[in-house]
Amino acid sequence: MQAPCCRRAPPLKSSWRVPLVYKIERKRKENVSLSLPASMPIRCILHWQPNQGSVVNSQVLNEISQCVESLNGVKEGRCKASLTFYRPNLRDQSVTIDFPRDFLGISMLEQPNKYYFIIRGQKIVLEADSSILLIMEKLQSYKSKVALHFEGVLYKLGDFQMRVIKVVPSQAESLRGIMIEIEYLPISSVEKSKQILEEFIDIWKEVVSKKSLAGQFMHTEPNYAEYGLSDNYTSQHTAVQYAAALAQLIQSAQLRN
Amino acid sequence: MDLSKVLDCINNTCISCVMQLSIVDMECVVQGIIETQHVEALEILLQGLCGVQRERLRIHEICLKSGPHLGTVASEVRLLCDLEQAEPSWTVKHVGGAMRGAGAEQISVLVRSMVESKTSKNALRMFYTLGYKLDHELLRVGFSFNFHRGAQITVTVSSINKMLKLHATDEAVPVTPGIQMVEVTAPATAETYAEVASAVSSFCEYLAPLLHLSKPGISTGVVPTAAAAAASLMSDGGGTNL
Repeated sequence: MQAPCCRRAPPLKSSWRVPLVYKIERKRKENVSLSLPASMPIRCILHWQPNQGSVVNSQVLNEISQCVESLNGVKEGRCKASLTFYRPNLRDQSVTIDFPRDFLGISMLEQPNKYYFIIRGQKIVLEADSSILLIMEKLQSYKSKVALHFEGVLYKLGDFQMRVIKVVPSQAESLRGIMIEIEYLPISSVEKSKQILEEFIDIWKEVVSKKSLAGQFMHTEPNYAEYGLSDNYTSQHTAVQYAAALAQLIQSAQLRN
Repeated sequence: MDLSKVLDCINNTCISCVMQLSIVDMECVVQGIIETQHVEALEILLQGLCGVQRERLRIHEICLKSGPHLGTVASEVRLLCDLEQAEPSWTVKHVGGAMRGAGAEQISVLVRSMVESKTSKNALRMFYTLGYKLDHELLRVGFSFNFHRGAQITVTVSSINKMLKLHATDEAVPVTPGIQMVEVTAPATAETYAEVASAVSSFCEYLAPLLHLSKPGISTGVVPTAAAAAASLMSDGGGTNL
């Protein structure tokens, strides 16, 4: 007997589902030969922006999870990432030298031996072996200011995968944000996947809008070329997206406060 | 942007809490020098001892130091760019203090903390942005042997070159013409360093006719028997079993 969490939701009968399936199948056939085997499938990250005066809560998170299940999403497992904000460890706190204020570190459960540093202001992304953390600790030039966890559930939807992610501080349970990660498995080219991802995002937004939730999903894709990243999608692209999405979450939280 | 107003602030969180690390973070090391004219003989000897092919070495080493206001103490980090690869690869390396005390005095190799991490190409730019400054840079050109003999040992034989212009590796000139540096290193942990040090010491004895290896910073110069040993090795093609 199938576990309840794996039970498929009944297929939607809405008219837009048929063209989507057709488009997905057509795109997959067109592009499957073009994707490079060593590359990662393309991903895009959307963050939930609550309406003015409303808050992010577990009720909204549950509703969003139901939206994924209504698209026949099947639970495949869990995903986790951690993001740390670093600040300079200054000998004299009164010194006003211009050190980066947006120095982030990201670890992902799917890449346990890697760590990613991002300095958004200078458009720098660095992939390193996780031993870089020990080096940074020994250098004692920067220390952790804030740590956040991105905890989520992975759903499979044919050629797509979706992750429903909650953003929580590392030493608290309070929900600080919601993100959705959409992954299209057959393609690893940022450019070639643009159209199909845009179509999927439109459909996703339409599904969510039917729930009449107090907010909407926003997608601002970073300019990867500014970070020196190629069209071939990698974990560095994911790290850059996490940083960009989090910046948007913080900005929207400040606007609401 | 004051993040602490938006997010719960967690001060002084140990970085290593983010991810549990289980890595080798010590090394045993000895160094020595050899005249360039005897390097070929040393290579023959090493080939016979190690039973592996040598690897060519061309490493651009950039040493960075923290700016005057950064960190409670001054810190130093090395960036190594392997120019032998078709696509240059980068490694960030931190060499810590040497082990001290009675135990350290009794062993003939230096035991020190060492952590390295392979990175993507932006390492130098990132450290500059974080407030690190260029202290010095050099180019190591030579070869290395990597093998297992009681421990995973690496022997590096290289000419140390300085750059007359910033990052101009093509115009590098030897710091000590006619002399090459030999370094024997082996990774270790707090539990294994004694056995590793012993394995390194034992291996170094085989090289004694050609060069003397000692703890870094303790210069012993070239070995008087080097010329005769080199001539012997060259004449019999390194066929002597050791």
